[in-house]
Amino acid sequence: MSAAAEGHEAQSQDILAKVHHDLNVWGFPDEPIDLGFGPVFLKTIVMTWIVMVLVIIFTVSATRNMQLKRPGKLQLMVEEMFLFLRGLAVENLGTKKANSLMFLVFSLFIYLLFSNLLGLVPTMMSPTADVNTTLGMSLSVFILAQVLGLYYKGPSYFKHFVQPFVFFLPINIVEELSKPLTHGFRIFGNIYAGEVLIAVLLGLIPITATIFGGFIASVVWLSFSIFVGFVQAFIFTMLTIVYISMSSAESH
Amino acid sequence: MGGILDSLNINQTLVAQVFNFVILLIFLRIVVYPHIVRVLDERQNYIENSVTAAEEERKQAEDLRQQYLAEMQKSKDEARDIIQKASKAGEEQAREIIEAAKAESNRIKESALEDINREKEKAVAELREQVATLSILVASKIVSEKITADIQRGMIDEFIKEAGDLPC
Repeated sequence: MSAAAEGHEAQSQDILAKVHHDLNVWGFPDEPIDLGFGPVFLKTIVMTWIVMVLVIIFTVSATRNMQLKRPGKLQLMVEEMFLFLRGLAVENLGTKKANSLMFLVFSLFIYLLFSNLLGLVPTMMSPTADVNTTLGMSLSVFILAQVLGLYYKGPSYFKHFVQPFVFFLPINIVEELSKPLTHGFRIFGNIYAGEVLIAVLLGLIPITATIFGGFIASVVWLSFSIFVGFVQAFIFTMLTIVYISMSSAESH
Repeated sequence: MGGILDSLNINQTLVAQVFNFVILLIFLRIVVYPHIVRVLDERQNYIENSVTAAEEERKQAEDLRQQYLAEMQKSKDEARDIIQKASKAGEEQAREIIEAAKAESNRIKESALEDINREKEKAVAELREQVATLSILVASKIVSEKITADIQRGMIDEFIKEAGDLPC
């Protein structure tokens, strides 16, 4: 009985491994390799480069020959995105700080959006489905928030660690440290789960073909993943704005 | 610590990803961002200017309208004045014409009366002359013939008849 269960489990794992193996047409190694400064995941790095190239192509072609009175479609997309994010930033940070941080917010959103959507292209992978990317960015945002807090408020920035009482210090520190962790793992979990489910649904096609119409579940999940990609990119950007505004607000 | 990081698959990829993102950030900041901000600022200025200009033109149009209305009112008043003057002048003229006609008719009537009187006087003078002639005639007849009462009667009748036949 237990042998049969183990065999079944091994079989299902084989299916997933087989799907992953079949999808890996570019031959990226699963194990981290050493490129000279330590072990890295080659696939994540290459996918990030692809995303960077796509972002650069998209934004440059959208902002080349910008029209004042009759904007093109790409230009309009970028402008609307920018205005939407600026509205959020101005609401939370105030006009002056928002304008100085707008390039970061905009770049973050468009980079995460393209990263999230790249995983939906067959054989590609979201850079955000690797915890290194998301945690790296959330740590950068964390450090940036601390630096900006110090910059805008001076030494009185440290006061909020001991509020309302001194013995709240450990709680405040834990709270502060939990921010980048949740920030990074939230988007990682969503996107990674999306990618796993894409692979699982692909692996299940031989089983579901006769019951649920095979690829329909996969298509539905892909379209939902587009939505999730937008939402997660938006949440990450929004939380970045909120963390910076919390750490740099005058009245804390 | 190292074990936790390994089990989470965290390694130097993190540093590389941060590095990649910073490169992308710098690129977008230098190449893309200024264009977007510039165009948005320009559009905002353009819209503000357009709104201001539209407001200005609306005000001007309103002024023009008021001006035109005032002028129209003025010309209406003038037209009414002119019509009133003209009708007054017309009435005046009509009265003058009527008075002139009356005067003319009076003049004609008076001259006609004068004519009549003159004719009458002429006729009376003529009658007198004839009466005198007849008297002379009667006198001569009286002188020449013996006058009887019958003759006298007849002569007077004749005289009266003759006098009655005269146009008077």
